[in-house]
Amino acid sequence: MLNLWRKIRAHGRVAEPPVGGRGYPLVPGLRGSVQVRHVDAGSCGGCEVEIGAAFGPVYDAERYGARLVASPRHADALLVTGVVTRNMSEPLRRTYDAVPAPKLVVAVGDCARDCGVFKGAYGVAGAVGDVLPVDAEVAGCPPRPEAIVAAVRGLTGR
Amino acid sequence: MNLTESALGLAVGVAALAALAVAALPGRWRPACAGAGTALAGAAGVAAGVAALTGRPFSLSLPGLLPLSGLEFGADRLSGFFIAVTGAVAVPAGVYATGYLRHSGTSRSACAFLPLFAASMLLVPAAAWAVTLLACWELMALTSLLQVLAEHRRRPEVAEAGRWYAVMTHLGFACILAALMLAGGGSLLAVRHLPAGLAGTVFVLALAGFGSKAGIVPLHAWLPRAHPEAPSHVSALMSAAMVNLGVYGIIRTGFGLLGGGARWWWLLVLALGAVSAVYGILQAAMSSDLKRLLGYSTTENMGLVLVGLGAAGLFAGTGHRVLAGLALTAALLHVAGHAAFKTLLFLSAGAVAQRAGTRDLDALGGLRGGMPATTAAFAWGALAASALPPGTAFVSEWLLLQALIHGLPGGGTAAAVVLPTAVAAVALTAGLSAATFVKAFGTGFLARPRSDGAARAAEAPGSMLAGMALAGAACAVLALVPGAVLPALARAAAMTAGPAVAGLVTLRLSGAAGELSPLLLALAVLAVTLVAAGWLRVLPGRRARRAARLWDCGAGPLTARMEYTATAFAEPLQRVFDDVLAPETGIDVTHLDEARYLVAAVEYRRRVPDRVERRLYQPALAAVRAWGEAGRRLAPGSVHRYLGYGFYAVVALLIVLTVTR
Repeated sequence: MLNLWRKIRAHGRVAEPPVGGRGYPLVPGLRGSVQVRHVDAGSCGGCEVEIGAAFGPVYDAERYGARLVASPRHADALLVTGVVTRNMSEPLRRTYDAVPAPKLVVAVGDCARDCGVFKGAYGVAGAVGDVLPVDAEVAGCPPRPEAIVAAVRGLTGR
Repeated sequence: MNLTESALGLAVGVAALAALAVAALPGRWRPACAGAGTALAGAAGVAAGVAALTGRPFSLSLPGLLPLSGLEFGADRLSGFFIAVTGAVAVPAGVYATGYLRHSGTSRSACAFLPLFAASMLLVPAAAWAVTLLACWELMALTSLLQVLAEHRRRPEVAEAGRWYAVMTHLGFACILAALMLAGGGSLLAVRHLPAGLAGTVFVLALAGFGSKAGIVPLHAWLPRAHPEAPSHVSALMSAAMVNLGVYGIIRTGFGLLGGGARWWWLLVLALGAVSAVYGILQAAMSSDLKRLLGYSTTENMGLVLVGLGAAGLFAGTGHRVLAGLALTAALLHVAGHAAFKTLLFLSAGAVAQRAGTRDLDALGGLRGGMPATTAAFAWGALAASALPPGTAFVSEWLLLQALIHGLPGGGTAAAVVLPTAVAAVALTAGLSAATFVKAFGTGFLARPRSDGAARAAEAPGSMLAGMALAGAACAVLALVPGAVLPALARAAAMTAGPAVAGLVTLRLSGAAGELSPLLLALAVLAVTLVAAGWLRVLPGRRARRAARLWDCGAGPLTARMEYTATAFAEPLQRVFDDVLAPETGIDVTHLDEARYLVAAVEYRRRVPDRVERRLYQPALAAVRAWGEAGRRLAPGSVHRYLGYGFYAVVALLIVLTVTR
């Protein structure tokens, strides 16, 4: 037992350093680990499939320190997909309010960035940037999982 | 004429005067008069009981008052204990009734019989002869029945509860009558030496009769019906004082009249007690009617008392007098503690039922805002009832467990099998009662109101709160300094020369290793709670804080429909004890007329019926009904036939007399 402690002390962290990435996080307080809450503000479902793939076994965004969580109270960042519909604009604002600071918002997909093909539709309140301050954007309709993973790595800095 | 006698006489006199005054006064004055009479009679009863408990016995003979036998009264320490407990329940119940009756109906009978009911309960333990006991017992049964029926005009279910209570109480009376007549009648205070078989029969009959009053399974069927339907001060009197007299009867016949007896008697008592305790608290945990829950909890607590009595009988039979004294002291302390917290709980539940207009826990909630004092009273009662420190039941159940555990060595095979099982039953009961009262308090008083009635509920008037405060103070004394009353209880148990438990602050068991100091324990719990609360308050103050909206999934305010209901809280327990409780569930799916694939409505029903009642009472009631239907053919309405019955009956009787003489 004592031997094991000694080894732990001698070696420190044994994990491999991350390859690529920016090496520094977007926000200093969130280095290496970011808990992510996904919010569907009015998406068609395409971005959800890609997020599922990004956090699945093939692209495995979790190895870069990001993890999907079930409540904004547990989250550091919001992953918002879709145009912000009128019905979802208030819940989205409340969700953002429920996230403890420091907090980040990632707009995933073209709809979230600039309303995409739904621009001007009657039920649309606007893009995510019209409702919340956006820290990072992922382009594409839908964006490829690599792009989502790259954005997430931007948050964690790994 | 000593203090006991004069105080008891004063109690009866005050009660009779109050009843007469109520009958004469107009409706406005009746509640105050009835309540004051009950409370004063109770106070005099406490004085009489304490005087008898501290060694001032009395005996009084009134030969002219009842034909043939007259009335004989007398009280020793044991009677004194039960008189004192009854009086102590009557005081807060009477104070409370002055406020409660004003709002719930001031009918002449409901008010007039209240002080008489209290007085008849004071007289039962003071009865020294069999006939006197039976007369007082019947007076108590009738006055309590009239009290149960007090609200029958407003709610039809009261009548059914009253019928159940009347039938059960009179069957019990018949059993007690048979037992006392078989024992030869006469004085109850002298030991009777009967042949073993006859003594066993007497004991079993007495156990059935007194046990039905104490609400012991399977004779408990009236209890969860009558207690919810009676006015709440009557529920308190019945549940906290009247059921105790069943225990008194068992102690008086078992230890006093029959002088101990065979081992199987006490094994039977212990087994019935353990079954009642577990079954009662399980049903209480399932119940979502607040007063029904408290009624089943009475069955549980009387079961625990019977476990103590059974253990005391077993130990006394094997010569372990000290342990027997300890077990009986624990049982008596539990009687006193139960009387205190059940009074408090019923009084606060009554205030809730009156103010919110419902007793259904699934429709209550959020009473903390409207009724803060009642909520505090119920919380204190729930803590006292759930066998956790600092509560009343904790001390008595600790003593009971000590007696059961220390009784293991030298008890023989029966003790080696029965006592660990009893320990397990007591422990399971304690755990379930904590869950039950968390449910009752959490869903009934905290969270948000689930109905308009609960939302509008306003605080009870001062007199009702005063009643609750008296009962709460009794709870506090019994929980924090039980050492003040334990020596007197131990002497009332009369098993040993010295008390089984010594010490005022720290209770030390004599004859067995074990000590407990409830006061220090309570102070420690209080200190830890204060430190933890203070820490939680100070700790976040150092960090930056931000007030945010309660997280409600962003969809809008949380409604009361999203709350954890009492039924939902009990559901895991219902699953665990599925085989015992046998709940009934049903789902009805209604389809649209146009298409079988579209659902119009889904209805889900769940009920946890009393299984003992279903298995035991319904077949018996069906048999009685069938018998009655069969007998109907004998009475077709023809006068000639009835005259013929009379004639043939007389002839048959004459023939029988001729043959047998």
